[in-house]
Amino acid sequence: MLIMRHELLLVAILVILLLVEIFLPEKHKHRIIPLAIILMGVVTALGFIPGPTGSLFGGMYSTSNLVLIMKNILNIGTLVIFIQSAEWLKKDENREKISEYFIVLLSSLIGMFYMISSGDFLMFYLGLELATIPVAAAAAFERFKEKSAEAGVKLIFMSALSSGILLYGISMIYGTIGTMYFQDVAPKFTGSSLQVIAFIFFFAGMAFKISLVPFHLWAADVYEGAPINVTSYLSVVSKGAAVFILMILLYTVFTKIALMWRDVVYIIAILTMTVGNLFAMRQRNIKRFLAFSSISQAGFILLGIIGQSQLGMTTVIYFVLIYLFSNLGAFGVATAISNKTGKETIDDYDGFYRTNPLLSLAMMLSLFSLAGIPPLAGFFGKFFLFTAAAKQGLFILIVIAVLNTIISLYYYLLVIKAMFLNKSDQPIAYFKSDFYTRLGLLICSAGIIIIGFASPIYEWILQLSHGLIY
Amino acid sequence: MTNYQFMFFLLSAIIIIFSILTVTTRRILRAATFLLFVLVATAGLYFMLRFNFLAAIQLTLYAGGIVVLIIFSVLLTSHISQKLEKASISKRILAAIAAIAGAVLCIITILATEFPTVTPNPPETDIHTIGQALLSTDKFGYSLPFEVISILLLAAMIGSIIIAKKRKD
Repeated sequence: MLIMRHELLLVAILVILLLVEIFLPEKHKHRIIPLAIILMGVVTALGFIPGPTGSLFGGMYSTSNLVLIMKNILNIGTLVIFIQSAEWLKKDENREKISEYFIVLLSSLIGMFYMISSGDFLMFYLGLELATIPVAAAAAFERFKEKSAEAGVKLIFMSALSSGILLYGISMIYGTIGTMYFQDVAPKFTGSSLQVIAFIFFFAGMAFKISLVPFHLWAADVYEGAPINVTSYLSVVSKGAAVFILMILLYTVFTKIALMWRDVVYIIAILTMTVGNLFAMRQRNIKRFLAFSSISQAGFILLGIIGQSQLGMTTVIYFVLIYLFSNLGAFGVATAISNKTGKETIDDYDGFYRTNPLLSLAMMLSLFSLAGIPPLAGFFGKFFLFTAAAKQGLFILIVIAVLNTIISLYYYLLVIKAMFLNKSDQPIAYFKSDFYTRLGLLICSAGIIIIGFASPIYEWILQLSHGLIY
Repeated sequence: MTNYQFMFFLLSAIIIIFSILTVTTRRILRAATFLLFVLVATAGLYFMLRFNFLAAIQLTLYAGGIVVLIIFSVLLTSHISQKLEKASISKRILAAIAAIAGAVLCIITILATEFPTVTPNPPETDIHTIGQALLSTDKFGYSLPFEVISILLLAAMIGSIIIAKKRKD
């Protein structure tokens, strides 16, 4: 029972919130917000207590210390998103659906946990569906806005399509091997022609979920239309979990055709970094801008996956952790501005530093970290990714990645220039952020700075990833 | 040709023809009806494989429940007489090329693959075996997926509440 503690704790919060929603009188409903945040904080803290690992249900469910770290990282991300959502949920039009919002995101998180600790394709698929379907409802949260409803519909259609492709691939694997358990599939996955097609379908399905190029076209519309907190959830937590399980499966189940998938990942990494960057440069809406920048960041993550080594694995998890704080920081500032003023384009940010210096600084920290400027954490994340790729001798790939980093620096600086240098006749007026917004930004900024300087975190992950590759 | 083969080809023909009709018709209600035929014929295939339980589920849940739901929601939301937009010729040609190429690739590979056979005559799966497997916690037991699906259903219900809840003015 203790092995599955992360999932069970989340289910417990979910049930508590459900009961509170039923029995709490209407006028006290807003108290659900602090309750949910505190519960999530407690669960996040409890997650760090070391406990037993192993497998349950005949190998259908298994955890290792590395999986536990990933779960803790996802917990932190969700906690920060809960904190950032507080101000937005207090708005009149959202007050009716406070507990529903938390429950939907929590069940999606539970799905991710089952997905990343799945031991067979059935649990993997169920976890994946549980992770995506509720988020579609959350994307359509402001359904009285046409764009939000459109985002929900697009997300559910695209996830249905990608699940169909993915399932077809899984069914082929099952057909050729006759079992769905990862540990039984791995030795028999020899790379016959049908299995290669199965792998392609599987990879295409996952690439849809992570929004890798050329499967990324749905991302921009969904990210723009969805409420900004759901967008940050999609682009940070969902993406992190999907990248992690993809990496685990590539290393374990598909390890025998590693020579083949390395080429596939190589090409897709280059495409994703470059196309994501080129599109990000042209965006004026901050949500679309961050969406495309997160697509290009996913390309960088693939760099670590190609490494196919313990080092690569560590760097991927480390990068996801840093990326989480940096991206959530940027989204947090964008949320605060959007909540107070409703403004969401980069041009609106002109002269923002003069009126709101602290928020501008937080945004600058996050964007510099995303761009990878030392000494912030983002620099080390990218640096280690490049090191992992260099150990494999992939120098052309690294050159392309560095060029892309420079391009990305250009468009991140555009936003910073707008805030600090551009002058505007009507800058966004000074506003006071509430406690939750400040807390969220404080956590993110602290994360960005501390992780950059604290090498023990990296060493710790490196140590835990021992012996996972077979 | 034996009776068994004849039935197989008949059911397969129904599935293929009606699947194509489902995605090509421009009236949404007709698409739902064509889908019904596809699902019933699939149940027939399950019967031929002697998966009686699965076939019964297919008939009651998919053909009985889900198609009725689809038809209900179509009747409730859209104008039935309205036709879908006609896709442009270039789109149609591209889609046809992609679909045919994909199908040919898959069919050729599947035909060339030798699939492992379990036993010459797999025993009929009865309710008893299914029930045991559904609630077993050992290997090849499915109690964990069973429980996770219940969370999924709960989440789906609450998700639909989010979308359907009325705004208080």
